[in-house]
Amino acid sequence: MTDMLTISGGQVRTESATESRLSQETHDLAAKYQAGIVGRSMKRCAFGDPKSLDGLPPATQNAKAVEMLANHAPLRIDADELLVGSATLLEATWHQVPFLNTPSTSHVTVSLEKLLRLGYAGLREQVSERLSRGDLRPDQVTYLQAIGTSIDAAGVWHRRHVDALRELHDAANSQQQRNKLTSLLATMAKVPENPPTNFREAIQTLWEAWTFQRLCGNWPSIGRIDWFLGPYLKKDLAAGTITLDEARELLAHFWIKGSEWIGAEGAFGTGYSGDAQFYQNVILAGIDENGDEVVNEVTYLVLDVIEELHISDFPIAVRVSARTPEALWRKIAQCQRHGGGIVSIYNEDLVIRALTRFGYPLEEARSFTNDGCWEVIIPGKTSFSYVPFDTLAILQDLLQIDEDAEIPAYESFEDLYTAYREALSVALDKFADECNRWCPANAQISPLLSLFVDNCVENGADYHDYGPNYTVRSPHAGGLPDVANSLHVINQMVYVDRKASLAEIVTGMRANWNGHESLQNRCANDYLLYGNADPLADAMARRLFDDYVTLVSQLPKTGDLLFPPGISTFGREQEWRNNRLATATGKPAHSILAPNLSASAGTERRGVTGVVRSFCSMNFEALPNGVPLDLMLSPSSLAGDNGLNALVGLLKTFIQLGGWYLQINVVDRATLLEAQKHPDQFPNLTVRISGWSARFATLCPEWQEMIIERTSLALS
Amino acid sequence: MITGRVFDIQQFCTHDGPGIRTVVFLKGCPLHCVWCHNPEGIAPRPILSYLEARCTGCLRCAEACEHEVHQWNDRGKHVVNRDRCIGCGRCVTACPNGALELVGRDMTVDDVLARLMIDLPFFLASGGGLTLSGGEPLSQPDFTESLLRATQTAGIHSLIETSGFATWSTFEKVLPYVDGFLYDIKETDSSRHKELTGQGNERILQNLRQLHDCGADVTVRMPIVPGLNDHQAHLDAVDAMMAEMPRLKGPEVMPYHPLGRSKCARFGFDDHDLATLNLSRLKGRSGSER
Repeated sequence: MTDMLTISGGQVRTESATESRLSQETHDLAAKYQAGIVGRSMKRCAFGDPKSLDGLPPATQNAKAVEMLANHAPLRIDADELLVGSATLLEATWHQVPFLNTPSTSHVTVSLEKLLRLGYAGLREQVSERLSRGDLRPDQVTYLQAIGTSIDAAGVWHRRHVDALRELHDAANSQQQRNKLTSLLATMAKVPENPPTNFREAIQTLWEAWTFQRLCGNWPSIGRIDWFLGPYLKKDLAAGTITLDEARELLAHFWIKGSEWIGAEGAFGTGYSGDAQFYQNVILAGIDENGDEVVNEVTYLVLDVIEELHISDFPIAVRVSARTPEALWRKIAQCQRHGGGIVSIYNEDLVIRALTRFGYPLEEARSFTNDGCWEVIIPGKTSFSYVPFDTLAILQDLLQIDEDAEIPAYESFEDLYTAYREALSVALDKFADECNRWCPANAQISPLLSLFVDNCVENGADYHDYGPNYTVRSPHAGGLPDVANSLHVINQMVYVDRKASLAEIVTGMRANWNGHESLQNRCANDYLLYGNADPLADAMARRLFDDYVTLVSQLPKTGDLLFPPGISTFGREQEWRNNRLATATGKPAHSILAPNLSASAGTERRGVTGVVRSFCSMNFEALPNGVPLDLMLSPSSLAGDNGLNALVGLLKTFIQLGGWYLQINVVDRATLLEAQKHPDQFPNLTVRISGWSARFATLCPEWQEMIIERTSLALS
Repeated sequence: MITGRVFDIQQFCTHDGPGIRTVVFLKGCPLHCVWCHNPEGIAPRPILSYLEARCTGCLRCAEACEHEVHQWNDRGKHVVNRDRCIGCGRCVTACPNGALELVGRDMTVDDVLARLMIDLPFFLASGGGLTLSGGEPLSQPDFTESLLRATQTAGIHSLIETSGFATWSTFEKVLPYVDGFLYDIKETDSSRHKELTGQGNERILQNLRQLHDCGADVTVRMPIVPGLNDHQAHLDAVDAMMAEMPRLKGPEVMPYHPLGRSKCARFGFDDHDLATLNLSRLKGRSGSER
């Protein structure tokens, strides 16, 4: 029934173009950045010699490098831009610290809002205060001095910009140009050394601090931008010192400049998936630590900007709940419908419940963000990394698909299941053991980054050395839907309906189903699998899910490491296919199987609603690192007013049913195939997988194919 | 227990009434529209679908069939003799490649309701529900009535997508349980209507008036096929009809699309050749906005 093409009144409609609220100059600027003109102009670091730092402690080395970069990195200043500062060195786009050429840090959301509250002056004060207490070891003193050096470097870099602006001002040959530069100089006069007092200063502070981190190689995420900036805008609007249109232009420049690395030569990711990704997510709306709603003018202005300019980096996630205003739901849906999957949603109340159940205090749980991708963390307090593994590989090993050995016999399904759970437990023990033996990565130490992570100053310890409140190693299970499906089919075929023996199925799998097509067909088609709201298949998936999270919760811990379980494949189903053999669900070896915790391609027969119901039947409260669901919908199914209503209904239902994180790509297969053939015609066609977004045309063929595989749900 | 013959159920439909809807396609239709996009829905009995691309020529279907439906011609090509097929489905079970499928299976009200319940939260969040389509859902009046009774009890909004070609007593049977109709007006001139669909339109127009007069929620839809029913007289007549029956909603224009033709090979129908849609002639008429 799945591939039956039944047409139910397909409509031809044209959508009205997005209302244009931004100036033509801003559109032109966006086009320039999006075309990679700025990114392609980036250069490698060409000053100094890192050997000069040999022998210094790692923190000092990093701080000295930051100092070098602040003093010598090329500046990019354009009087037509409303914000000043630019991360101009190529090495940073390679996930490296320029000058040092050591690996840098991503998957982290820092609390840049500290700078808004205190200014660099206030942060410097904190460091001095900590040093003055006199209770630190010498290495901790050295570390805090390195933080101090990094703060001073930020000041040097700021002054270089002010000097350059002043020179431009004096040389300007039109009054208009001089006025623009005067205005920029006025904004730059007191911040970021001192806390901002208005919206213009606040957004410049945030931009400058963030882009300085990136200049020095760090890739922090910004997190809750509307929560930081909203109050400044509210005050200025009330005082009449800014208009909504002016604020929107400023935010547009923030987004445009945030895409300055597009086109950078050899940027991270280009050698892997084809497109670059810098883990710079932004989160909107939701409640603050006190439980008050954050949503404000900045929330809507940011959505205006991305709806109009279609900039996919920064990827946006919105925290939603039963309290979310209808206007915000519709705004999210409108942005999603434009395609490119720029806006995703978190089920705020569920995430907060999961975090408090895991042990985080309520106030911290309420402040959650992602880490720059989609994984949930407590921002500004967490050193995060995750460890992915393939649970299907464990089943393959158990059934010895890759060997000629005697086929394992299991008297009952329970025997088989127990053996699988035991093997999963062994794999997780190995994970914990490796984490517990982990030593701080000296090479990645960054006092500049740690400045914006709570307790690093207090503890005199780096982000990578247990400085923050929380150091997280999240195990990420992949392949669970295929394990559940395999076990479900084996249970039904062998133990319930007795249509075949386990030996027959394993023999078929060992032969990659060659010569066993009839059995393969029955394995593939006789039972509804996970993703169809089928009670039996979903129950198997839930059982596995529950056992996985329980096993993780029982892992032995040493020290302060936290192991919040997560589930993901991101795009690893692509690399894992090489090791994947034939499955009990009739798939041949090396198939691209289920992404994350979604249905395996081609097994969904109940459309998108079936996938959502199966997914949402899991108890995500026990999965504090979370799991994404990526859905592809065709543009035609969302056309017209009713298409928008339907999309809003889909989002609301996902939250109501207890989903965790939902990412929707509005694109059809035909368009993707076209873009694969004629990349030049689709330069800005963006697809998003979980926290990652990419311009489709730039991806390598394997990744394009994987994404096209995922469109099987895009019914028109 | 009463069963209906269903040939498809599609979830997350957004063009068949308000909100997110599940469309249940019932087999059997008294009309034979030349442009029919669901030709597999016309005959009341189950019919065989054959996908050549999946066939490996293993002959298992031929071995399983007692009526010599599956044969191979001189050039080694699989020929499906559909006139001999009784719809027993043995070949479908025998085929290891999924090349054969029996389209149209009997489902109870509970079977269909179970499928709808998967989508209930989506219906409630979006103002959606069930749309019964086909075929012609009123060609299975007893099942349609029973299903609608059940959905009404379950709190599921329901619409019938109909050609209007049924007896008035059939409409009366379902009226208490259905929330509205999507009602096709294919051609206002009766003799043209007969040419295009095999039946005159008197009964259709009569039923429409009666539905209007009794206060039913009716949205008029106009399938428009260029060169066949896009002439000015028809468009004007629909305008006049709408003016005369002010409580009717619409009309929604349903432009012809050629997707139905893609099915012809699978079901062994003759292809029909229609001009591509000339949208410019339909300017000024709304689509399925609601």
